[in-house]
Order: sequence, then C-alpha cells, then structure tokens
Amino acid sequence: MQLLNTLLIGITAGSIYSLMAIAFVLVWRSTRVVNFAQAGMALLSTYFGYEAVSRFGSFWIALPVAMIGGALFAALVELVLMRLLVKHASSGPIAGVAPIIATLGLLGVIKSAITIIWGGQDQRIVAPISNNGFTVNGSTLVFSPLKLFILVVVVILLIILSILFQKTNLGLALRASAHAPEIARLSGIKVDAVRTLGWALAGAAGAVAGLFQTVNGNGNLSPDSSEFSLLLVSGFIAAVIGGLDSLLGAVLGGLFLGIAISFVLMYVSSGLFFIAPFVILLLVLFIRPQGIIGVKVGRRA
Amino acid sequence: MRKSRKQSTHVPLFILGGVILFILSNFIEELRVLQGTTIAVYVIAISSIILLTGYSGQVSLGHGALMAVGAYAAALLRFEFNCPVVVCFIAAVLVAAVGGLLLGLAAARLSGPYLAGTTLALAIGLPSLANQFSFLGGEQGLEFRVGPPDIQADAAVEPLTYLGKVLLILSKLRTTLATGAWPDASPVDTYKWWFWIAALAALISIWCVRNILNSSYGRSWRAGRGNEVAAQLAGINTARSKVLAFTISAGIAGLAGALLAMTIGTVSPSAFPLALSFSLLTGAVLAGITTLGGVIIGAVVLVAIPEIADVVAHRLGASESVTTNLPGLIVSGLLIVTVLFVPNGPVEQHRARKARHEAAHNSTKK
Repeated sequence: MQLLNTLLIGITAGSIYSLMAIAFVLVWRSTRVVNFAQAGMALLSTYFGYEAVSRFGSFWIALPVAMIGGALFAALVELVLMRLLVKHASSGPIAGVAPIIATLGLLGVIKSAITIIWGGQDQRIVAPISNNGFTVNGSTLVFSPLKLFILVVVVILLIILSILFQKTNLGLALRASAHAPEIARLSGIKVDAVRTLGWALAGAAGAVAGLFQTVNGNGNLSPDSSEFSLLLVSGFIAAVIGGLDSLLGAVLGGLFLGIAISFVLMYVSSGLFFIAPFVILLLVLFIRPQGIIGVKVGRRA
Repeated sequence: MRKSRKQSTHVPLFILGGVILFILSNFIEELRVLQGTTIAVYVIAISSIILLTGYSGQVSLGHGALMAVGAYAAALLRFEFNCPVVVCFIAAVLVAAVGGLLLGLAAARLSGPYLAGTTLALAIGLPSLANQFSFLGGEQGLEFRVGPPDIQADAAVEPLTYLGKVLLILSKLRTTLATGAWPDASPVDTYKWWFWIAALAALISIWCVRNILNSSYGRSWRAGRGNEVAAQLAGINTARSKVLAFTISAGIAGLAGALLAMTIGTVSPSAFPLALSFSLLTGAVLAGITTLGGVIIGAVVLVAIPEIADVVAHRLGASESVTTNLPGLIVSGLLIVTVLFVPNGPVEQHRARKARHEAAHNSTKK
C-alpha cells in the first residue's frame, strides 16, 4: 500500500514538473535560452490566479486567468527583454552568459515586485476539490480527488499541445523556427512572432504548474515559497533529463523525477527535499548527458 | 616583448594600499568601518566570480553555497577546537577549494545553461543540508566569534602571540595618529579589528588573483573561453584548466564566506541565500565581468544600494514592504540594465571608447 501511495504521489508531483519542464523546453526551442525566471513568471501568474479567486471566488475562473496572464507576461518579456538582449549583448566575452544573467535579474525583479505589491506574508488559495484521499477496501490512500483532477488536466493540456504541434500549421511553424530559423524565414514564416508565441505558450504552461504546485502543497502562496524554488529546480532538471529539446522528453523527465524524488523521500530520508534533485541531476549529466530522448551532440550551448 | 613576459607583481602598490586603508580606518565612524568590512568581503567574492566567469567562461550560481562551505569549515574549527583565527581562514580556503574541485570536475563536462542550472540546484540545495547534520547546528547555525585579542590582559598573563604583537603596535600607532603621543596601551574595538582582517584578506586575494590572471594560467583560461578547439590545438588541456579555475575560484569564495560569517557572528543556512549568489553576479557584471580593476565598483555599489534605496523610500514616504524590498528590486533591475546596455562593464566600456577616440585622433593627424 505504501508502495502504491509513493508511486501515486510521485506521478502527481511529476506531472506538475512535466508542465514546468515543457515551459523550459518551449522557451529553449524558440530562443535557445534557458529561462531561469520561469519559476518567477509562474509565481506571478499564480498571484494573478489568487487575485481572480479573491475577486470572483472561483478556482475555475482563476485557472484561465492565470494562464492568460502568464502568457501575456511571457510574451511581453520576449518582446522587450529578449529582443534587446539579442541586439546588444550577442558578442564579446559576455555573450555566453548574458541570457543567463538577464533571466536571473528578471527573477529577482519579479520576486521583489510581487513582495511590494502583495506583501511578503502567506496568501491562501483554497483547492476546489477535496485533497482527502480515496478510500479503497477500508484503507485511505494519499491519492485524492484533487490529485486525480491535476493529473487529468495535465493530460488534457498535453494532448492539446501535441495536437497543436503535430496537426496544425502553427505547430509546423513553431517546429520549423526551432530547427532551422533561417530556412523558416525564407519560406515566409514570421520567425520573430513565432518566438514570441513560444514564450507565451511557455508562460501559460508555467502558470498552470504554479497554480497546481500551490494547491497540491499546503495552499499557501508567498514570494519566498520553497515550493517555487523546488519547481524551478525540478522543472529545469526534468527538462535536462528529457534532453531540453523534446516535449515528450520533458514529460517523461518530469514523471521520472517526480517518482524518483517521491521514493527517495519515502524510503531514504524526508530531509533530502532539495538535495535529491541535485544528485539526480548530476547522475543524469554523468550517465546520459544527452537526455533520454536527446540526440547525441555535445552539451555545447 | 621581454618586458611583457616578466610583468611586475606590484607588491609595493599593494602594501601602500594597505597602509592607506589602515590610516583611513582610524578617521571614519564606526558604521562606515563596518561597511568597509562588507565591501572588502564583496571585493573578494566578486573577484572569485570574475576569475571564473570572466576569464574561464564558466557561470556559477552556486558561489553562495561555496561561501557557506568555507564559513562552516572556519566556524567548526573555531567552535569545536578553538583554533586560531588565521588557521580557521586558511581552512575555509582549503575546504571550499576541495568542494570547488569536486564541482569543477562535474562542471568541466558541462557548459552554459547546464552549468548554471546545476550550480543553481546546488545553491538551493546545499544550505538545507545543514539541517540534516546536528553538528552543523541546524537553523540556528554555529557561533563564529572573532574579536580583537585583549592586549592588556593577555600581555600580563601570557606572552603575546606574533599576531598580538603586531596588533599592539598597530593600535598604539592608531592612538598616536589621533593624539600625537605614543601611548602605553590602547584598546581596539571589534569593528576595526574585523576591517583590518577583511582588508588584509582582500588585498592578498586581489594580489593573488591579479597575478594568476596575468600568468600562463590566466592566458590559457582566456584562450579556452574564446575558442576551445583553438586552445586545444595550441596544446592547452582545456578540461584541466577549467577545473583549476573552479578550484581557485571556490577557495577565494570560501575565504569570503568565512569573513562574511565573521561579521555576522554566526554561520547559518539563512546567511547564504540564493539572493547572495545573485548579488555577487550583479557585482561582477557591474564591475565588468572581465575587468578585475572594476571589482571595487561592484562591491561599493552592492553596499551602497540598500542605503540609497532606504533614502529614496523615506523621501517618497513609502510603506514598509516597499522599503524592505526596494534594494532587491534595484539590484535585479540594475543587473538587467547593465547586461543589456553596458554588457562589458563601465571600465571596459570607457577603455573601448577611449581607444576608439585615440584611433580617430591618430588617423586625423596623419
């Protein structure tokens, strides 16, 4: 029973990490930048969701509000920050580290701004569905209706995303701009607009991840929340496990990471909350640096 | 050609700098002395980032964690074995360097965002490890007391150590500077003592870093950063030189960590937050990531920002939450603005403009 519990907790957490990893992958594919501000953007979107909950009193409005808010903000960041970055800091000794430093600066700006606007104290987002476990054969599982709901929503979003990428012209443009921007531009695709769209999709995915991470945890939301540090690290690690370039890889990486962390916390020590992901990342980078699905080229970026 | 090979190491210049700092420390108020100590700590920490990121081209967001490693090493020796302060600081350098060596071995296989992400995970993860082992003191942390030796008492009870004798002379000199007379005894307050230690450590570190960067190691790092394949063709073992850069940088960061712990009085996980790593990066970018000479700019700005933000917030009559968060907002905002508009730092920018100007001037003369 404990085994089943651990597995189900891991899958739920892993599905949230998958969404975050997808956000990293979408941004990486569109601008070749690892967006370390992704968790900050997710946090901001979650605060949008919190505002919606406290104004309209419904989680069902908060979810789309957070997604749209997150998408718009991400698009804005791409339009303003990333385009300036490409223009000004794409040569010289700083070129390699400029995007990393810029996104970290953005993370700091977002966190400080949130604290100034909403204050540093905990805000609460109440989950719309009970987080009390299902009862099977008289014993209570940790797996709850809320966790089931999270899983279902994540799966639906993944299906929508894969249809978008595989079946629509827009998806084709997104894939073309990622793999061969010059050729895509020659064949009439507006690569810059497509890049902004990639960021917007990532912002929306991150928003859902942030909202779910909050309600799946204790429901408390604060600018210095360790849940969001974990989301940043786990999302990045899941994306790296998946090869950083593959959406399917991101999903598998997220699930693998979620289950692995869940087992470590249950069977080794519950204090390894932050160290376990780091060790898993190091192991992955040493054993299979190109990721589960990645093609074998050196990790030069 | 021959002259450039045997560059001067500028020993007299650094000694002169030390003397000036010592004299200066006796003429400024206590709060400024403490800020001077913080500036010296930042100078050391930022120079470790410049060495690693600017010269060897590796990004580390984990230097806050490496500082914590150094601080814990120093505090443990002081707390458990009551070692002399100098030994504690040397241990901080060595233990952090070993940590850096391990991290560097992993880092040499990674690049760009992968390295940044890995060190970020370390910076978030490592401080929480202190809660796992009871001998590290958990959330409260360990006490790390470094005070000036009580000269008068010590001199009466036991013979002074070498360091104590130097201190005795220095403190008498200080009173002489103030009153014009040579006193029999003179007390030293803690802040000034800290400043002397930190300033001395900063001068030694900058001297070391400067000369390492001008040595063949520094050249091989720059070569590897510019074009790794070309550097390998020139016979440089780029992997080994990257690991070496990480090790040295970590050792310097460890020293900075121990000094920071000295000014706080304790070592705890909360003293080394992720924000510290980010501040250091900001300082390095403001200094100009490839200009060691700019390091003082970065350090002064990092110390000045909270002060300026405080003044601004009070002038605007802002609320409490604005006042406490304005410094963070300014630091991060400044980081973005600098990367976007002055990516190579103000010093380098000025130098480039001057060079352009001179080139234009020369061509018109001809």
